[in-house]
Amino acid sequence: MKSFLIVLLFSSFSYSAGGDLNCGSIECDDFSANTYDLASLQSGLTTYMNNCYGCHSLKYSRYNRIAKDLKIPLEIYQENLIFDGSKPGELMNISLNEKDAIEWIGAKPPDLTLEARIRKPAWIYTYLRKYYPDSSRPYGVNNEVYQNVSMPNVLEDMQANLSVAEFDKVIYDLTNFLVYVADPSANTRKRIGVYVLLFLLLFTSFAYLTYREFKKELK
Amino acid sequence: MVQPSSPPNPGRRKFLSYATSFLGLIGTAFVAVPFLSAFKPSARAEAAGAPVQVDISTINSGEMMVVEWRGKPVFVLKISNDSIKLLSQIDAKLADPTLETPFQPEYAKNAFRSRKEGIAVITGVCSHLGCSPKYYPEAGSTDFDPDWQGGFFCPCHGSKFDLLGRVYAGVPAPTNMEVPPHYFSKDNILIIGSDGVS
Amino acid sequence: MAANEKKSGVVNWFDTRFPITDLLERHLSKYPAPTNLNFWYLFGFLMIVVLAMQILTGLWLMMNYTNTAEEAFSSVEYIMRDVEYGWLLRYMHAAGASAFFALIYLHMFRGMMYGSYRKPRELIWVGGWFTYVLLCAEGFTGYVLPWGQMSFWAAQVIISLLGSIPIVGEDLATWIRGDYLISGITLSRLFAFHVVLLPIMIIAVVFFHILALHEIGSNNPDGIDIKKHVDKDGVPLDSKPFYPYDITHDIYALGVFLIIFCSVVFFFPEGGGYVLEYVNFEPANPLSTPAHIVPSWYFTPFYAMLRAVDFALFGFTAKFLGFVTMAAGIAIFAALPWLDRSPVKSIRYKGILSKSFLAGFVISFFVLGYLGAVPPSDLKNLLAKVFTVVYFSYFLLMPIYTRIEKCKPVPERAPGY
Repeated sequence: MKSFLIVLLFSSFSYSAGGDLNCGSIECDDFSANTYDLASLQSGLTTYMNNCYGCHSLKYSRYNRIAKDLKIPLEIYQENLIFDGSKPGELMNISLNEKDAIEWIGAKPPDLTLEARIRKPAWIYTYLRKYYPDSSRPYGVNNEVYQNVSMPNVLEDMQANLSVAEFDKVIYDLTNFLVYVADPSANTRKRIGVYVLLFLLLFTSFAYLTYREFKKELK
Repeated sequence: MVQPSSPPNPGRRKFLSYATSFLGLIGTAFVAVPFLSAFKPSARAEAAGAPVQVDISTINSGEMMVVEWRGKPVFVLKISNDSIKLLSQIDAKLADPTLETPFQPEYAKNAFRSRKEGIAVITGVCSHLGCSPKYYPEAGSTDFDPDWQGGFFCPCHGSKFDLLGRVYAGVPAPTNMEVPPHYFSKDNILIIGSDGVS
Repeated sequence: MAANEKKSGVVNWFDTRFPITDLLERHLSKYPAPTNLNFWYLFGFLMIVVLAMQILTGLWLMMNYTNTAEEAFSSVEYIMRDVEYGWLLRYMHAAGASAFFALIYLHMFRGMMYGSYRKPRELIWVGGWFTYVLLCAEGFTGYVLPWGQMSFWAAQVIISLLGSIPIVGEDLATWIRGDYLISGITLSRLFAFHVVLLPIMIIAVVFFHILALHEIGSNNPDGIDIKKHVDKDGVPLDSKPFYPYDITHDIYALGVFLIIFCSVVFFFPEGGGYVLEYVNFEPANPLSTPAHIVPSWYFTPFYAMLRAVDFALFGFTAKFLGFVTMAAGIAIFAALPWLDRSPVKSIRYKGILSKSFLAGFVISFFVLGYLGAVPPSDLKNLLAKVFTVVYFSYFLLMPIYTRIEKCKPVPERAPGY
């Protein structure tokens, strides 16, 4: 009974907290984000703004926040990555309006600011690389991770012109960017966290020695 | 109550107590940082207060345009040639005609209180109690001044300013109206809210 | 006692009008704590710290949060991104809620182990239990505010439960919602409860709990009545003043607690999906239920009981009986002082039956907690039934097993520090 319980505990533990572990019918490919790699994030941002932003807003994020975090000079950012004359401080919510979207695609493309927190990054990374031809679908493509997906394979041309490794890198950068934009304070948080813990260790050491010193008196 | 034995090492005990208390105080000060910082203008407030861009080519000579920046009216006016002549003659009536008190950026301490000749950029808030003065550009006799040279009159308490926002002597308002930071990105494109790079 | 001590003029002025020195001495500095207290007695202090932290961070979050269905979700992201250090305040508040429950469960278990609920501390125990109930309500209402998918559907499930009450149920649920579905109206009232009503009640009850404790005196791991042996001032011989002997212990414990807490806040703010659920990063959508709805980890044992009852009985629906079982699982703690008939307080001197039933209770609490967090299956449902029975048997059989077992003699005096 006991060993059975332990097996039960371990077998189900990994998916007990929600979130998708499996990538549809297949296993997710390995993905490990690196939000300190600015070149990767900048490349991901460029891919996103040129290929995704037309339909998928990032409406909780601001243009200038990304420019600042990714260390892109504001003038360069404004010239190359803001297409509609938005001010740099504005939220990135300019995209396809809902009525047009339903008419053209059949569904409103979701906002992707928090996508990497809703789904595992590995899911996004795998999903974007697993489109396959399927003539029964409206856009002639289907996806191994997300069956009967309504989104066309936007990066089809890019995929055709690049080697597998090159395309994987493009998607890696794009996913990496989504991980960053879902939790933009993560790098700052971890940096502060190290100092906080070092301070607390010092404080607790002194608190422990003080406690022990007073305890001696009662012996 | 248990009778404690005398401290085995009073010096050590004192040092440790003080050190722990001191670290605790430092820790508390650190904790205050996020709470105090969160009161600063947020990114949304910064975005709303971002510089505004105005095309001044649409303003005719002698006319004024009101632009909102950080919730306040900013008066942008093209001063007519007639008015320009009058401006130098009213110095005697003003409290601070030579702009000694810095109610304008350093670069605007000049004949037009702005970066450009013939253009005035003024935050349209009376320096008395915060009403927005009215624009009376025509010289002549008015209800509030028989010898009016053109400028701004505040309906709340009767303060008078000239076309550059300089305050008259002997009115409730104590100082000139402020000039906001501004620059021209192109010849006719005025940016209000930033000193610009130059 | 304090007559010989020199007081400053200001302190004297206050003391003649309001005996502040006496109050602080009785409740803090000179409060006589038993000499044999161990680490199980640290969690109460830690909870006071967490309560203060929740009130402060909550106040700051409230300044930036918008309690409407349209704006709630984006206002939380506004806090996370646009407000300076807003992410820290939000993560602290979320992790603080989990910490509060972890601490209160440890604190309650301490009371159950050492018989802290026994005469004359029944009211202290019931007050503490009531704090726990209020905390559950506070946790639930707070969980709804971010207005993500989990917020919405958790509110939907919990309020629907009320609908199972015979005759009045549906009307009651509608009345609580203020609408025919969970809507912005519901959100607004839960917000008002979360930030005003419940915190005021929690503070009041905690105040009562501590006041009553300091009047009656702390229990101890041996369940000895230290007031039987007092010195000439009437202070128990087996006690030590709170200051400095307990406060130094508490401060040390606070350091250890903060190391764990800050590790979560700064490095694992989602707590593996247990502090902040992944699904809750998706805005509430009344038309689409997430694949797995799970309550917060601190409610999962009771959620498992709710699901374990899948049969109708005596003309009541399974849904209603499940609700009753769940409510009873929480309510029954309050009855402990009257269920325990043992001649001794502490588990240290109780017999093998008490020890076994307490162990059974702990195991069932963990197993039910696990079962409530995972998707149901036939086997898991059977397990949930078994452990629900084990859980309740600890309480319901207590009047019997505590009377028939053989206890060890309790020492007269508390062991040393």
